[in-house]
Amino acid sequence: MLDRRDFLKLGGATAFAALFGGCESVSKKIIPFVIPPEDYSLGEALWYASACRQCPAGCGIVVRVSEGRARKIEGNPLHPVNRGKLCARGQAALQALYHPERLPRPLKREGERGSGKFTEISWEEALSTLLSRLKEVRAEAPASLLMLTGPMRGHENLVAARFLRAFGSPHRVAWDPFGQDALLSANEMVFGVRDIPEYDIGEARYLLSFSGDFLETWLSPVHYGRAFGRMRQDRETIRGKFVHFGPRLSLTAANADIFLPVPPGSEGVAALAVAHVMVKEKLTPRAAAAGALWDAGLKEMTPEAVSATTGVPVSAFADVAREFARNQPGLAIGGSAAAACTNGTFNHACVALLNGLAGNVGKPGGISFPNRATAFGRYGQDAPLLAPPPESGYPSVLGAVESMRKGAFRAAILAGPTNPAFTLPPSLKFEEALRAVPFVVSFAPFLDETSSLSDLVLPVPTFLEEWGDDVAPAGHAGEAVTLVQPVVNPFHDTRSFADVLIAAAKELGGPLAATLPWESYRDCLEKAYGGPGGTMEAALQNGGIFSPAGSPSRPAAAVAKLRLPKAEEAAFQGDPDKYPLLFHVFPSLAHYDGRGANLSWLQELPDPVSTAVWRGWIEMNPKTAKGLGIRDGEGVEVESPFGKIEAHVAYHPGIGEGVAAMPLGQGHGRYGKNARNRGGNPFSLLPGNRESASGAPAWQSARVTVRKAAVKGRLVRAGHPEGQWKMENIL
Amino acid sequence: MLQPRIQGLIALALFTLLLAVPSGAAAQTPQPIQYSHKIHVTDNTIDCQFCHSSARRSKYAGIPSVEKCMICHRVIAYDRPEVKKIAQYWSDGKPIPWNRVTELPDHSYFPHYRMVNAGVPCLECHPGMNKAGVAVQNREFTMGFCMDCHRKRAVSIDCWTCHY
Repeated sequence: MLDRRDFLKLGGATAFAALFGGCESVSKKIIPFVIPPEDYSLGEALWYASACRQCPAGCGIVVRVSEGRARKIEGNPLHPVNRGKLCARGQAALQALYHPERLPRPLKREGERGSGKFTEISWEEALSTLLSRLKEVRAEAPASLLMLTGPMRGHENLVAARFLRAFGSPHRVAWDPFGQDALLSANEMVFGVRDIPEYDIGEARYLLSFSGDFLETWLSPVHYGRAFGRMRQDRETIRGKFVHFGPRLSLTAANADIFLPVPPGSEGVAALAVAHVMVKEKLTPRAAAAGALWDAGLKEMTPEAVSATTGVPVSAFADVAREFARNQPGLAIGGSAAAACTNGTFNHACVALLNGLAGNVGKPGGISFPNRATAFGRYGQDAPLLAPPPESGYPSVLGAVESMRKGAFRAAILAGPTNPAFTLPPSLKFEEALRAVPFVVSFAPFLDETSSLSDLVLPVPTFLEEWGDDVAPAGHAGEAVTLVQPVVNPFHDTRSFADVLIAAAKELGGPLAATLPWESYRDCLEKAYGGPGGTMEAALQNGGIFSPAGSPSRPAAAVAKLRLPKAEEAAFQGDPDKYPLLFHVFPSLAHYDGRGANLSWLQELPDPVSTAVWRGWIEMNPKTAKGLGIRDGEGVEVESPFGKIEAHVAYHPGIGEGVAAMPLGQGHGRYGKNARNRGGNPFSLLPGNRESASGAPAWQSARVTVRKAAVKGRLVRAGHPEGQWKMENIL
Repeated sequence: MLQPRIQGLIALALFTLLLAVPSGAAAQTPQPIQYSHKIHVTDNTIDCQFCHSSARRSKYAGIPSVEKCMICHRVIAYDRPEVKKIAQYWSDGKPIPWNRVTELPDHSYFPHYRMVNAGVPCLECHPGMNKAGVAVQNREFTMGFCMDCHRKRAVSIDCWTCHY
């Protein structure tokens, strides 16, 4: 018999089964568009060409769009910089587009500056606030307007620079924490050309890298990655050899045939030791220049002397020099770690000298200096604004922060992704200085450390929703002007920086309206590129204007006379007894300068070397760490003379015993839930030191101490695809 | 206490009953707007593809956007109660949340554009749609039905033609 209890039991089980048994898999609703997008056809994808803005490399992209939504980003096969390839940061731009924390409307500050409390307002109110402030400043003291942006290129930079010039202020500052100042001034010193050379890695037979990070974040990593593939395995019977000098086994170093560890800042002397052997053994085609160099002091840089300071075996210098000289075309490349020491220009000049000595300047498989600014000759004096050199802008940042603190600015316009409140060294006290500016307006898609400090935040579209153009700083011979077009309709009520400036100029009238005579930024670009009925249409379809012939080259680099750069040692701040470890920082492969930290795809991307995800870490040699009683994965406190942060230790056998390395990019206090609480910000441990010749920030110039500490959370690492490091095999 | 086997049988019976109830009642799918195919297609001879415009280009026939409804209904029959509902969606800037009527079995693909471009009339698979009030599905898409037609037209009956 079925009693009551059994009936209830069975009834319960049946209800459970009914609830969870028949999960509905097909969506029962069909929601068509209110107004369908242009060229829309259900289920049919359209590909739009545009440019990636996730880092300054300027790759071309194509975006797959269906039902009016961007679905996938790939490299543009026609684009000379990346030829159809794209890195993880570019792929992740989709998440920025759909990000739930994007600002949908303008914000007005509520309460204290920096409290992060804002209320949403309409664009009308926001623009009238902005305009009334600008009118006031312009009438009383136009030079007290500051414009602090990220590095800008193309017509956006033209609009911004012209706006400020006509406004009457000289204070235009473009901040790039990883600017190439040292490389630029080294090339000026050695070749008389202040420009970024083209490195023809693809055709080289021998590649010498001095802390090179060309496969990670340096200049144009996708371009160099592709070229590296060609150098190694795309040519019949030739496989280029790759030797890497540097303080840390990075992703680039891990790809080398030979990795020769040197202490931070001694890349330059290592290059000179190679040059010494080349000259001594008459392995250079530039005999006259070599003789002059020898007498100027190269004869002192013997492999024995350099070996004593760097720890590289004497025979290694001789072997490398002979191989490099005999396997031409050979190429020497310096990287960002070599540039960001206090002697960065010296390091890069020594590397440039090797290229000069090997006689590979202007040759395939060597370096060349193409003329990248010819496309914009019609702008006359303003032409360089469209393709400016990739400088850090640090000297003018320092000046601007000092003026801010003194109360010299009545208003500040902040824009761009470089987030100065996060990336500037703490000794500058940027936040405190910004508080002395009575009116701060930010143009930002997200609330980060910098935009949270503003009175007014104006939401800008992501690059997938706006018009624009771009000239990549490297990776092409001057034939690439990339066009940016909206691939989807804007998701939110946003306006681009250039559009707001053009509209503001119209309202302010006078010379401002005359210098920006366009209806909108789109109108500006259409006038510049021949309009939608003219040449612009084909250019938009291709993703830009890529003339295969290239542009006329500039006068040849001065290689007749090679000057020996003045020897200089890297300086490190901090008492060696109290802070025993040299602090090596490097841009994170996933987050670059920190801008990618709010995207979960990039957070969950395992670092190729440490395999860590979702958190910052500090790499230490196992011997050093064991000496301090720290086990792999344990929490530590990292202290420099400028601050202290928490981190987790990741054992890294490929790093010197006196060095500790940390990726930059994590450690946000704001910037959304994905970016917050991921460990400390290593920027906050760095000194405000400057590279001695170019004035760029010298990130690699601090000493730190590491102590065991109780740190919340743990470091999660993906399994290494080839098995975990086998310490006993390496040590 | 009952024997486990009988317990199981009773549970199975109750469960089957529960499953049987909803599928047994084949009610017409309710729609937010009482749209009549008959008025549009039969009375006013509007081509199917005027509204289902992606049928010849895409896997899906597509449902017209609110904008497309309003192209005509700004001036035609704008005072009818059902048309006023469309106008309301339009002025609110909201899409019409239609309920799906025609279902294709799982693991099979039906690219509309292949049939449309081969000249298969819409009514072959959607019989009576031209006479329907609110849309109904009058034909189950069984494999036999598809195969009959494919054989008759001497087109591929390879598995991978539909199951890919």
